[in-house]
Amino acid sequence: MGGLQKKKFERGAATNYITRNRARKKLMLSLPDFRRLCILKGIYPHEPKHKKKVNKGSTAPRTFYLMKDIRFLLHEPIVGKFREYKIFVRKLKKAYGKTEWSTVERLRENKPTYKLDHIIKERYPSFIDALRDIDDALCMCFLFSTFARTGKCHVQTIQLCRRLSVEWMNYVIASRSLRKVFISIKGIYYQAEAMGQLITWLVPYQFSHDHPTDVDYRVMATFTEFYTTLLGFVNFRLYHSLNLLYPPKVWWKLSALSASLARVVSSADEEDAELDQFPEDMEKMEAREKEQKQQEAQRKMFQGLKFFLNREVPRESLAFVIRCFGGEVSWDKSICIGSTYDVTDETITHHIVDRPNIDKQYINRYYIQPQWVYDCVNAKILLPVEDYFIGVTLPPHLSPFVEEKEGDYVPPEKLKIMALQRGEKPANEQEEDNDEEEEEDEDDEEEEEEDDNADEEEDDEEEAEEKNLKEMEDKRSQGKSLQVKVTPGKVKVENPARLEQEEKAEEKRLAIMMMKKKEKYLYDKIMFGKKRKVREANKLAAKRKAHDDAEKAKKKKARK
Amino acid sequence: MAAARRLKRVAASQPGFLTLKPSLNPSDLVSGRRKRVNKNKKKNWNKHSDINDVEEFLEDVRHQERTTGGLLSEKSDDSLFFLDVGQPKKAEQKEEPVETKKRKGKASRPLRIDLILQHDSLIPPAKDVLAYQQPNAKKLRRIAQKAEQLAAKGVVPRRQRQLLNRRPVDRTAKKSATEANNNPDREYYDIWGQESRESADPWYLQQMGKKHVKRPEKLNEKPSVLPAVEVIAPGGSYNPDFLSHQALLQEAHDVEVKKQKQEDKLERQLAFNKEEKATEETVLREQVEGLVEEENEEEEAAANDDEEEVAVGAIALAEKKTERQRKRERAEKIKEQQRLATRKQTDQQQQLFQLRSIKASIKQREQKTKANQIKRKAKQEAQKSQPRRLGKLKFQPQDLEVQLSNELAGSLRQLKPEGSILKDRFKSLQKRNLIEPRDRAKFKRRLKVKYVEKRAFKEIT
Repeated sequence: MGGLQKKKFERGAATNYITRNRARKKLMLSLPDFRRLCILKGIYPHEPKHKKKVNKGSTAPRTFYLMKDIRFLLHEPIVGKFREYKIFVRKLKKAYGKTEWSTVERLRENKPTYKLDHIIKERYPSFIDALRDIDDALCMCFLFSTFARTGKCHVQTIQLCRRLSVEWMNYVIASRSLRKVFISIKGIYYQAEAMGQLITWLVPYQFSHDHPTDVDYRVMATFTEFYTTLLGFVNFRLYHSLNLLYPPKVWWKLSALSASLARVVSSADEEDAELDQFPEDMEKMEAREKEQKQQEAQRKMFQGLKFFLNREVPRESLAFVIRCFGGEVSWDKSICIGSTYDVTDETITHHIVDRPNIDKQYINRYYIQPQWVYDCVNAKILLPVEDYFIGVTLPPHLSPFVEEKEGDYVPPEKLKIMALQRGEKPANEQEEDNDEEEEEDEDDEEEEEEDDNADEEEDDEEEAEEKNLKEMEDKRSQGKSLQVKVTPGKVKVENPARLEQEEKAEEKRLAIMMMKKKEKYLYDKIMFGKKRKVREANKLAAKRKAHDDAEKAKKKKARK
Repeated sequence: MAAARRLKRVAASQPGFLTLKPSLNPSDLVSGRRKRVNKNKKKNWNKHSDINDVEEFLEDVRHQERTTGGLLSEKSDDSLFFLDVGQPKKAEQKEEPVETKKRKGKASRPLRIDLILQHDSLIPPAKDVLAYQQPNAKKLRRIAQKAEQLAAKGVVPRRQRQLLNRRPVDRTAKKSATEANNNPDREYYDIWGQESRESADPWYLQQMGKKHVKRPEKLNEKPSVLPAVEVIAPGGSYNPDFLSHQALLQEAHDVEVKKQKQEDKLERQLAFNKEEKATEETVLREQVEGLVEEENEEEEAAANDDEEEVAVGAIALAEKKTERQRKRERAEKIKEQQRLATRKQTDQQQQLFQLRSIKASIKQREQKTKANQIKRKAKQEAQKSQPRRLGKLKFQPQDLEVQLSNELAGSLRQLKPEGSILKDRFKSLQKRNLIEPRDRAKFKRRLKVKYVEKRAFKEIT
């Protein structure tokens, strides 16, 4: 026959992959160094599709890297720096052992260091690429800045992370780009929008510190090293896009988040950029203009309001959120630097408290719990303050990251908020309140005075009507004749919108009647599927109602 | 042992000592332990070179010069030695006491302080060259004029220049510390605003080995489709809505139920019914089976025999085939083949009439394959969001963070955070296939540990 015979595992998938140990030997690095290099360069292990082929017949679990990636790593200049560092450590150990202190000093002064700038430029060739990957970087930086400075990881790293996180928060404040906040049991989730990218990050609570033992700190430290570099460059670019001076000279003063950043070029018209007029349909343009106006209104939601934070509330988070929407905020001088006004300032409009009661009360300010701020941000409007007073059971804090499709269950609180957003006054809620009020009026009037005072402004008219009706019923039950008269009829104003809707519904019904049997069968099936969702939502609503009634009964029992 | 070594060393240091191994140098036994030092480096000249002999000689020379004013070997014989020819005359003796009587009191002896300040060495002190120099007025004037001219031009003498240049020492931070990656005051610049570097000829760069290596395209793809930060379900809010909280609790409950089920399954598999354990009675019965009862034995024996005979008979009757039988077999084979061929043909012809049912069956098969394809594609998509198996260990997802109804805090102040974000980030990195799941490195001992009881305890146990 002639010709060379093909041997197994010499071509194809088997040669495209290389095991971790082989790769490490090829690069002549130790295992921790190899890991660090892979993390910095962004080279990840791959799972081959046909493990048996790649592993030369065995199915033992091994870590595989692509051969091309490892060959690419051979050209990396950092590899040389790693080797230099290894030699430096060896020389240092020797000098220590021989107690040659001058040598130790000299070696320490010339310690080999490396820079990661070229890696960042290579991994993220454009700024938008970097912005897409900034979620992870932000989470890591915020996480490391909350670490205790014990020396487990370099204190300098913690400081650098703190500086970068403060800079980022100040950028978000200056660009007013915060969109959503969610307080969970894990930490606080924020979502901001920068240059068209939605960036979500998670900030841990300041007071939670348990360091789990099964986390590899070296790996996390390497990731942080890379991410701090990336975040620094991104911050630089973002600050320059807003004409702000970078780096801010005294960043630890800015950590109070109450000062505003210095501008490079004081631009008077920083605010409204007009929309370009593209030749499009009027509808789309109008919709977009409306959206823009809404966004503008949302950005200035807290403008003009002055907040004061009490000692026990999370100061940094609240200060950040309030300032992102144009409000002014201050706190007690003894907590932190940067407090601009005192608690005795008369112009404070909202005082944020988290205690069950508070001694001295000023008249012209609202005392509310911190959830009000977060709920307002999520609802994009100023919610009524009454639900968040001190001592009141708060409404649940809903997640803004949940997108409900039609037919899904929507919790009643969300419905209320949506109604408020549309500008309607939620009539149901008021009636319920009135019922409660009247029932409790029968029992004990004194306790309800506060509630009455709170609701009075809104419910005056409805109350009067209800009271009238009740009087009439009472009279009837007592057998007296009602003083009712026949009055001329009032003209009911026909709502044109409603008429249109009714017409459309009629047309739909007719069309359904005219369908063929087969089509009708399909249509029925589809509708059944859709209605199933609605039915489930109804079931959940019924459950919720049962739970609420149970709660009400419990409350009444407790009161009696 | 040490004493023996010392003895050996002492014995070996005797000059005439012969060792058993003639190749070994006896001096090696003495100095074999000393470490070899590299004397080529300057650092080691001071430490490891022995200059005592030279120093001694030089000290001796200096001593001679100090005490006798020169090397003894260079002195004339007369200064060093004299011929002893007996006692001198009395006239000399008489002169001396006359001289001493003239001086009175302590003025005869010099002061102690003068004695101390005298030179006690015979080496004359060095001459002060500058003291012999006499200033030449002309020369001095010319030097001053020249200095003025240069100063007018701006050239300053070196001394003054050095004094002017001497700035206050500023202890700048060490270069390595400022360049470190985690320096909190590090500088950033616009990395995306700068243009790319290569302006030279690509051929030149390639030949010089300076060509920039391109990053492979595949590295730009993300290893997983999962987002970097996954927001917790709405039931994880600090003040959750009733139903979403219940949903989250339900999820956690399901996970626990699954775990419990697995444990139960394991228990069941390992379960052993005590009643099935062999007791002595059953063992005896088993061993004795078939031996004790004699009535049934004969019947059983007869039945067994018949079966055996039949079997034996079948085997015994196999004989050689005859020619006729072979021909018959061949003919049968051919007939069978023909039959099959005709059958096949008729089948093919009849298939024409079966077209409709064939179509139906094909359609069914196609549908099945399509359904399978869809299922496979869906499975692949689901696989993409799963963490890949990248190493020895499988990925262990962390427990759901959920607070029970009685743990829920009423206010932000009383909130007790659940879960650790560090662990969450670590697991997220593993989930997105950025790192492989790894176990903590165990402490492995190189040498085995031997457990020995103390003497006191040995007596007890």
